[in-house]
Amino acid sequence: MILVPDVVSPIVVGLYAPAIIVGIFVGLIGLFGISLEKNDLHVLILTDIVGVGMLIFVAAVGTDLAESLILPGLVVELAEILAISEILMSREMRKSGKTVELLPTPLHFNLEILQTAPVFLAIVLIAYGAFLSGFTGGAIAGAGILFYVMSIKVRGVPSGVWEGLAGVSGMAWCLWLVGFLVLFVFPQYWLLGLMLAAFGVFIKVAFKVGIIGVMNREEFKKE
Amino acid sequence: MDITILGSQIIGIIPLGDIVFYFTQFNLFMFATALAFTAIIAISKTETQVEAEFGKLGDRAVTVAKKEFKIRRFLAIICGLATAGAMITGDLFDFTLFVCLTGIVNIGIVGAVRQVDVLDSAYQYGLIAMMASLPLFGGAALILAATGTISLLVINSLTYTTPMMILGSILLFLGVAGETGVAPFFATKAEMFRTPGSPFLLIIHLSSLLILVRLIEILLIINKPF
Repeated sequence: MILVPDVVSPIVVGLYAPAIIVGIFVGLIGLFGISLEKNDLHVLILTDIVGVGMLIFVAAVGTDLAESLILPGLVVELAEILAISEILMSREMRKSGKTVELLPTPLHFNLEILQTAPVFLAIVLIAYGAFLSGFTGGAIAGAGILFYVMSIKVRGVPSGVWEGLAGVSGMAWCLWLVGFLVLFVFPQYWLLGLMLAAFGVFIKVAFKVGIIGVMNREEFKKE
Repeated sequence: MDITILGSQIIGIIPLGDIVFYFTQFNLFMFATALAFTAIIAISKTETQVEAEFGKLGDRAVTVAKKEFKIRRFLAIICGLATAGAMITGDLFDFTLFVCLTGIVNIGIVGAVRQVDVLDSAYQYGLIAMMASLPLFGGAALILAATGTISLLVINSLTYTTPMMILGSILLFLGVAGETGVAPFFATKAEMFRTPGSPFLLIIHLSSLLILVRLIEILLIINKPF
């Protein structure tokens, strides 16, 4: 019983079963590695291979729906690996009695290009990111802001600015959530929801560097 | 509503775009149980625990500071809400995501204790939960590939069962067993329920039980053995 429409070529349809078999093999290889390995950290990394097997399973379906289902799967994997590595770190700290910072070493930006490159490039990047909007645009505009921060850090940036940026990032994320709610609850206003989501995620991703800035400042203080 | 699921009528649906929540007599009861337990967790003052003394008629009160259990209580409430969501969802992938949320929150509840033994057991539970995400999402994806839909209401109206659907169901069962089914075992291994001031950790047992019952309902809907 095949539900695939005729326009899809039979080669693509025939790839489904091999993909599932590959997924099963990837999972089995990961489990085999876990059964042999004794080091806790290595076990954690090997567990990620099993997660990759899961992504192959979902990706093998190959429809739009499957594409939108990969993202939650990936996010769940990341959340779990973060939680477990945090537990592992906390256990090791408790065992050894030492505490470890989030970033172990202070950051050094001794790049020559940060002093010679024109800051104007940051404005170009931000403008281009705003034109793109959405996640990609956010990443580009964020790179622009980060570039500005790193090149101007010699003169110093007021700390209130960074905390403000982090706050705006959180509020923009709420905008994104509201956009999604609009899409679900009032599907007839989809354009409004789309715009809210697109620009919410743009501002959020762009200002994520604000948080990097806050961290940066604390690291500098440590230095 | 004239659709019947496992002999019970659908009382109502909540359409949110393509994600549809539905109520039958069966899952409405479990939904209400999970929500009621969550409400009790949210409003109760569990800081003082009264224990009967051995050999005498007196009572002994053990009091802990409020902020000691703040995070774990919050996680327990999230766990209850995720369980309640998993009870009424009509979307297979939504169900797996709720199960995953319950699993992650359970890891958090177990891992909040700062003792090496407890952290060890939280770590092992976390590894099992991560490995179980392969059969969990993989099973849901197999069912999506075999039926062309992840809506339980549409799957309910299909007239056939293919071997792929059965394989997907088995994988789904393995996944849920690893993600929340083993949680009470690891929580008991860490002796969490005897800690004073935290009776709300029983939500781990309740969520595991309710999700397994709900999973069996979903597997019956998918495979239609009757």
